[in-house]
Amino acid sequence: MSEIAAPTPRAPFKPGLIARAIALFSGLPGMIIKFVLLAILNALAVWAAYVLIDRGKWISLAILVAATLLIDYIYLAPRSWTLPAKFIVPGTVFLLAFQIVPIIYTIEIAFTNYSTGHIISRADAIQAIKVNSLQPPANGRQFEMAPARDADGKLVLILHDDSSGAVYAGTKKGLQPLAKPTVTISPDTGQPTAAKGYTLIKGAELFSLDAQLRALEIPTKGDSAIQAQGVSQAVELQPTLRYDSAKNAFVRISDGTVFRDNGRGSFVSVNGKEELEPGWKTYIGFHNFGKLANDPLYRSPFVKVFVWTFVFAGLVVGLSFAVGLFLAITLDKKGLRFQSFYRSVLVIPWAMPAFLALLIWAGLLNDDFGVVNKILHLHIPWLFDANWARVSVVLVSVWLGVPYFFLVSLGALQSIPAELTEAARVDGGAGWAIFRRVTLPLVLVAVGPLLVASFAFNFNNFNNIYFLTQGGPYTGTSSIAGSTDILISYTYKLAIATGKGQDYALASAVSIVIFFIVATISGAMFYRTKAIRSVQ
Amino acid sequence: MHHSLKRMWALIGVIAAIAAVAASSAGASHKAGPTIVIWTDTDRAAAVTKVANDWAASNGATIQVVTKNFGDIRDNLGTVSAADAPDVITAAHDWTGQLAANGLVEPIFLSSATKASFPSYTLNAFSYGTAVKKLYGVPVAVENIGLVVNTKLAKVPTTFSQLETEALQVKKAKHQTFGIAVQQGSGGDAYHMYPFFSGLGGYVFGTNKAGNLDPSDIGVANPTLLKNAHLIDKWNKEGLISSKVDSSAAQNAFLKGQAAFWITGPWNADTLKKSGLTFKVIQMPAIAKPSVPFLGVQGFMVTKYATVHGVDSAAKDLVTSFMATPAAQTQLAAANGRPPANVKAKSSDPVLQQFSAASKGGVPMPNIPQMSSVWSDLGQAWVRSTKGSGAMAASKSFKAAARSIAAKIG
Repeated sequence: MSEIAAPTPRAPFKPGLIARAIALFSGLPGMIIKFVLLAILNALAVWAAYVLIDRGKWISLAILVAATLLIDYIYLAPRSWTLPAKFIVPGTVFLLAFQIVPIIYTIEIAFTNYSTGHIISRADAIQAIKVNSLQPPANGRQFEMAPARDADGKLVLILHDDSSGAVYAGTKKGLQPLAKPTVTISPDTGQPTAAKGYTLIKGAELFSLDAQLRALEIPTKGDSAIQAQGVSQAVELQPTLRYDSAKNAFVRISDGTVFRDNGRGSFVSVNGKEELEPGWKTYIGFHNFGKLANDPLYRSPFVKVFVWTFVFAGLVVGLSFAVGLFLAITLDKKGLRFQSFYRSVLVIPWAMPAFLALLIWAGLLNDDFGVVNKILHLHIPWLFDANWARVSVVLVSVWLGVPYFFLVSLGALQSIPAELTEAARVDGGAGWAIFRRVTLPLVLVAVGPLLVASFAFNFNNFNNIYFLTQGGPYTGTSSIAGSTDILISYTYKLAIATGKGQDYALASAVSIVIFFIVATISGAMFYRTKAIRSVQ
Repeated sequence: MHHSLKRMWALIGVIAAIAAVAASSAGASHKAGPTIVIWTDTDRAAAVTKVANDWAASNGATIQVVTKNFGDIRDNLGTVSAADAPDVITAAHDWTGQLAANGLVEPIFLSSATKASFPSYTLNAFSYGTAVKKLYGVPVAVENIGLVVNTKLAKVPTTFSQLETEALQVKKAKHQTFGIAVQQGSGGDAYHMYPFFSGLGGYVFGTNKAGNLDPSDIGVANPTLLKNAHLIDKWNKEGLISSKVDSSAAQNAFLKGQAAFWITGPWNADTLKKSGLTFKVIQMPAIAKPSVPFLGVQGFMVTKYATVHGVDSAAKDLVTSFMATPAAQTQLAAANGRPPANVKAKSSDPVLQQFSAASKGGVPMPNIPQMSSVWSDLGQAWVRSTKGSGAMAASKSFKAAARSIAAKIG
């Protein structure tokens, strides 16, 4: 720094439209907008705090209060360090909410048994098993019921036996027969409508007794008891399972079979053949990853799907880029007529909602009724043959991907100084050589990172596969994965269509595996494009 | 600096105070009496609101109806927080196993008089249990597919061979690639193919001694079906059915008079009436066994959250006593164009009556959660064996499907 450059005269500062728009907000209007937005944010936070206090979510409440105070401080306190924070905080909040939190949840779920039959907590599951184990005993009675109060105001159930026509007053001590004439029975519903010496409970008061009604058990024979079901029915029920809290196990009363906690969220019989439903959600360590690695049902399609995912993503990105670049070069020619028309037409696939386009393509490619075969006078089984289906998903994905690469290539081409290609031509370079030695490397510098991103996108391009082929056709040898399934659609099928239906935990484990694959590839490729750029 | 900091805290205080007032006034309106939260789909929201409020008015209760996509009702019930959870849901019977296995719904009991007013299959459809079978829902509407016959193009068949002959004649006359319009597409459709499947002797799950569906007894490639599987190969060869036909191709062919037979359900009743065609809906004639359709039953369930909210008895009263009545059933079933489940509440619509009649002897879609391992494989068994040239022999295709299903259920 020995030489001090002469100060170059600056061009007079001419603010652009956006700058002027921003400037508009810097005075009083900006202040007002800031306060209004902060007020709304605080109002929302206070409202959320009410909800969280109501539900006893104290950790979330602490985070909410801390975050709100921090944001208020950043935007109101005139400290120098808050200035950059003003710009960083909104983005960070959204990053946390929509990226980091779901990732944490996915990782958490991957180590649980969260799936059909393992949704609720252990305590709830034990309660549900107890309720489910209740069964009407042999010759169990069913009653029309009317809750009432006796002279002392105690809760009594007036019961009318469906089959025998007998009437009773039921308390937790037991059934007490009532004389038939003292109870009025509705001829339509069989419901007791009045009883001498008792006041029937009606309307809102009836429903306020919910917990008491459910708790009231009228003992009959043995361990059977009459229980209210709703407010007008009562049923005699007998437990078939007994919970032994000391041993932490259920015992079947009829044959003494013991169901033990298997440590993976279920009570399982000692011989391992019977399982009580429901189970509960619990942590099971690396079990899901182990299943993926060891269970042939999941492992054998995984390898096949893994390979096809690479082929698919690679082909789609490569072909889309090649076609997009070709079209961009063709249409970049100066003096071409209807240039803007061609360009607009080429962008149509991109402007259309992709899933709509995919559904239309699925119809177009139908081999008996589809337009494609009709026009070509061919009979290609586009969606019904494994290899043709692979061709179809690649072709349609390329069709959807070309406009993007056409646009970015066009941009990249126009940023290449004309002098470079002219110089190459003067040096005697032929068209192809100029393209290969000058144009392509320069385009690649600009488009390289986009190719990597596009690869990562197509690696997880669920829509294209699912709307076109649903992963099919199935060849009959693989049970879960079809011939066009990529990892993400295969994961989806694991999550909804194996075993007892929904295995979110296993699907989360696969997602984590996919994440590491994509992260590794993208990291390596970004590193490479960076290397290319630094060389140039 | 010190001054401005003070100003800032004052400002925050004011903002928070305003917000607190706004929030507290919003949350202040608490009502006496139970509030029942019902989740239902868009089609039925109006009818459910009306029926539930009829009940609530006489009981001092409040109803809050939340509209969801039908399938989301099942999925969201597993993830919703207790505070936002419903007490009552509109449900399809084939969710019963999954929801009960998850411990999310409560068993209910109907009076014997109420039970008697429902066909036993509708109650069976909502019953589930690996050891003790329990009822989890009150049926409201039933649906099933039938064979729609264009009576201008063909006679109403009484035997399967008559159907086959007529369908192939129309196919030839109209230069079509298939005779019976039944939807499959590359994804397969085991539901619409079920009359063929049951007619050939196929079944999905057998029942064990306790009368429960047994996921280890898979009848997708049972001996009777395999014995009759050569018929599928014959139909494929002569083009009676084709897996290339998807839902729009099937509908177009029938509505444009290119096919005389269409297998579809009451959701297309309005389309049929508006088409101007003369048609009749029947059950497909028996093949080797009666060609019965899958039956779908929709109804209401009480969730485990009703207990948490302290409205369990109210919710059970609404569902078991009120929604089961013929008057409520007629309104609820009409809301999305299905015949009601209660036998005392017959639909007056002639087309729906014909669909109802086509349900005779039908099999409720298995309601155990293992059924989700069946749909795609059973659908693909048909896709592979009826895709025209290059099709797999049916016996081989169904055996492969059975193997795959068994592996997935594990």
